[in-house]
Amino acid sequence: MAIELEHYLILGALLFSIGLYMALAKRNFVGVLMGIEMMFNAVNLTFIAFSRFPRFADMTDAERLSGHVFVIFVITVAAAEAAVALALAMLVYRNRETIDVDRMDLLKW
Amino acid sequence: MDSVNRFGPELILLAMAAVIILADIGWALAGTGAERMRRPALGALALTGTAASIIWSALLIAFDEQGEAFSGMIRVDDFALFFNFLFAGTAAIVILASIDFLRRNRFVAEYYALILASTAGMMLLASTIDLIAIFVALELTGISLYILVAFMKDGRSSEAGLKYLLLGAISSAVALYGMAYLFGITGSTSLDEIGLVVSEANGETRSALVLAMVFLIAGFGFKMAIVPFQMWVPDVYEGAPTPVTAFLSVGSKAAGFAVVMRIFLTALGDGSISSDWATVFAILAAISMSLGNITALVQGNIKRMLGYSSIAQAGTFLIGLAVVAAADPQLLLGTSAVLFFLGTYAFTNLGAFIAVIAISSKIGSDQIADYAGVAKRSPLLALGLTICLLSLTGIPPTAGFIAKVYVFNAAVQADLVWLAIVGVLNSVVAAYYYLRVVLNMYTAEPASEESIQPGYYLGLAMVVAVVGLLVIGIFPSPLLEASEAAARVFG
Amino acid sequence: MEDTGSIVAFWLLAALTLGSALAVVLIRDLIRAVVLLITSFLGVAGLYITLSADFVAVVQVLIYVGAISVLMLFAIMLTPRAGRNNAETFFRIPGILLAGLMAFTISLVSLDTDWAVVERGGFEETASAIGEALLDKYVLPFELAAVLLLVAMLGAILLVHPEGTDEE
Repeated sequence: MAIELEHYLILGALLFSIGLYMALAKRNFVGVLMGIEMMFNAVNLTFIAFSRFPRFADMTDAERLSGHVFVIFVITVAAAEAAVALALAMLVYRNRETIDVDRMDLLKW
Repeated sequence: MDSVNRFGPELILLAMAAVIILADIGWALAGTGAERMRRPALGALALTGTAASIIWSALLIAFDEQGEAFSGMIRVDDFALFFNFLFAGTAAIVILASIDFLRRNRFVAEYYALILASTAGMMLLASTIDLIAIFVALELTGISLYILVAFMKDGRSSEAGLKYLLLGAISSAVALYGMAYLFGITGSTSLDEIGLVVSEANGETRSALVLAMVFLIAGFGFKMAIVPFQMWVPDVYEGAPTPVTAFLSVGSKAAGFAVVMRIFLTALGDGSISSDWATVFAILAAISMSLGNITALVQGNIKRMLGYSSIAQAGTFLIGLAVVAAADPQLLLGTSAVLFFLGTYAFTNLGAFIAVIAISSKIGSDQIADYAGVAKRSPLLALGLTICLLSLTGIPPTAGFIAKVYVFNAAVQADLVWLAIVGVLNSVVAAYYYLRVVLNMYTAEPASEESIQPGYYLGLAMVVAVVGLLVIGIFPSPLLEASEAAARVFG
Repeated sequence: MEDTGSIVAFWLLAALTLGSALAVVLIRDLIRAVVLLITSFLGVAGLYITLSADFVAVVQVLIYVGAISVLMLFAIMLTPRAGRNNAETFFRIPGILLAGLMAFTISLVSLDTDWAVVERGGFEETASAIGEALLDKYVLPFELAAVLLLVAMLGAILLVHPEGTDEE
C-alpha cells in the first residue's frame, strides 16, 4: 500500500492530540511546554504533507513551497516562545520555588 | 517605495522602539548627571512614536495612498486605517497612564519598546492578508504582551505571565492547525485566493473546511476572550500591572476581532461556510454575554470584575459578527456595528481602568468594598469612573448607549431577535454590578478623609478617555461614518 | 512513493515518532521524557525527508533537537527544588477524552475528504527556493520575525535580570 496524504494527516492528528493532552493535563511546566512543542510539530508535519501532495495541477513549485516557508516561521516563533517561557519559569521559580502549573494558586485559575 | 510608505504607521512604531532602547543605553553611558531626564525623555519618545504613527495614517488617507504592499502581504484600506487609529490611540493613552507607575521602575525603556512593538503587531493583524504574515504578527503581539504581563516580576505578575504564555501558545497552535488545513484545501496562504477557492468549492472538502473554521475560531477566540476560551482572563487581568491590563482588554481584544473579521470575511465569506460560522458566533455570543455577566456579579476585585465584564462585552461584539453572514445589506450593518462598538469600547474601558489605576494606587487595594466613599475623596475621579461604567451599562448620553442600540438593531434586522433579547436582558444584569460600584463610591462612608490626587499624566489620560466617550455619545456620526467606510471594504 | 523502501521508512519513522511521543506522556521522570521527546523530534525530521523537505528537516534537527530541547533541559536543571515528576493534574480524564475526540474527529475528516491529489512528485532541492521566497515575497514576515526575536531576547533579559524592578 502506497503512502498517501491521509497517512501523514492522521499521523499529524495523533501527534497533535498527544501534545494537546500533555499541554492540558501535565502538572510540571516543562511537561506542558513539551506538549505545546508536539502540537507545533504536528502542525508542521501537516503543512509539509500538504506541500508534497497538492490538490491543484496548476500550482507552481513556489506556491507549493509556501507551506515550507510557513514551517520555517513556525519553528522560529516556537524557539522564541520557548526562550520567553524558560525566562518566565525561572521568574516563577524564584518567587515560588515551584514550576508546577497546578500549584500556581496566588490567582485562582 | 510604495510598500514602505504604506507600512509607515507600523514602521515608525518599530523604529521608535529601537530608538528608545538605544537612547536608554546612551543614558547609561552618559552617567548619573543626565539620569533625571531619562524617564520623561523616554516617555516623550514613546508618545512621539504613537503620534507620528497617527499622523502617518492620516497622511495615507489625505493622499489616498491605499492599496497592497510587500507583494500581497498587507493591504492598507479603510479597515486597516480604522484600526491604525484605534491601536495607536490606545497605545498613546496607555503610555500616558503608565508614566506614574513606572516612576521607580528600572526597565522603563523596555516597557515602552514592548508596548510599541505590540501595537505594531496589532496594526499588522488588521492589515495583513496572508496567513504567514498573520501568524508572525499574532506572535509579535502575543510575545510582547506575555512579557508585559509579567513585568512587575513579583509572584502574582509572573504567575499571570506564565499562565498567559502557556494558554496563548496552545491557542496559537490550534489556530495554526486550522491554517494548515486551509492551506491544504485551497493550496494558498493568501486570503484572497483562499476566498476564491472556497467560494467555488463543492461538497468534497466541506468537512475539512468546517474543521479548519472551528480551529480558527478556537485559536482566535483566545485573543478575543470569548467563552469557552476565556479561562485566562480574570487571572491575567488581576495579576498584570493595571496599565497593561487596560492595554490587553482594549488592544488585544480589538486585534483579535480585527484579524477574525479579515480572515472570515475575506477567506470564508462566501459559500455555505459563512452561515456555519455565523451560527457558531451567535451561540458563542449568547454564552459569552450570559456567563461573563453572571460571573461578574459575584466578583469582589474590580479588575476581575472588569475582566468578566470584558468577556460579556466581547459577546456583544460577536452579535455583530453573527449578523454579518446574512444577506448583502446586512453585511455592512454587522461589520460596521462591530467596528463602531470597538471604537466606543476602547474609550470606555481605557477610562475605567485609568480610574482604577488612580484610585487603587492611592488606597492600595483593588477590592470594590474599599472603593467606599471615593466620591468624597476625589469627586472628579469618581465622576469619571461613573461615566465609564454608565457607558459600559449602555445609558445615554454616553457612547455605550449608541453602540448597544446599533448592535441590537443590526441583530433585529437580520432576524436574530432572540439574540437581541438575550443582549438586552444581559444589559440589565450588567447594570446591577456596574451601578453597585457607583453606589458604593457615592453613598458609603469613606475609610479616610484623605483626598486622592491622580498624577498629571494620569489625569490627562482620563480626560481624553471620558471626553472621547461623551463626544461619541453626543455626536456619533464621524465614528459611524468611519466604521461604515471601513466595513465597505468587505462589501 | 511506490518503492518499498519509502513505505517501510514511513512506517518505521511513524512508529518512532508516535512511540516516543506516547512514552513522553507515560514516563515519570522529566529528564528521560525530554530525551524521548528528542527522538520524537528526530522521527519528525525523518518524515520531512520522506516528504522531500530537506531544508526543513535540517532546520528541525538544528532548532528543535539542538535548541528547544536543550532549553527544556535547562529549565529542569535550573529549578532544582521544583518537582521532577511528570505527573498529571486532576484534568487527566477530561484531557484524555478531549484528546481522543480530537484525534478521532481530525482523522475522520481527513479520510472523509476527497483530497483529489494530483501527483506532482517531490522537490529536487528546496533550500534555494525557500531562500528566494524569504527575501522576495515573504520579506515582510521575515523582517517581522527578526523584530520578534529581538523582543523575545529583550523580554528574556528583562525577566531574569537579578535586580528587582525598583531602583531605590
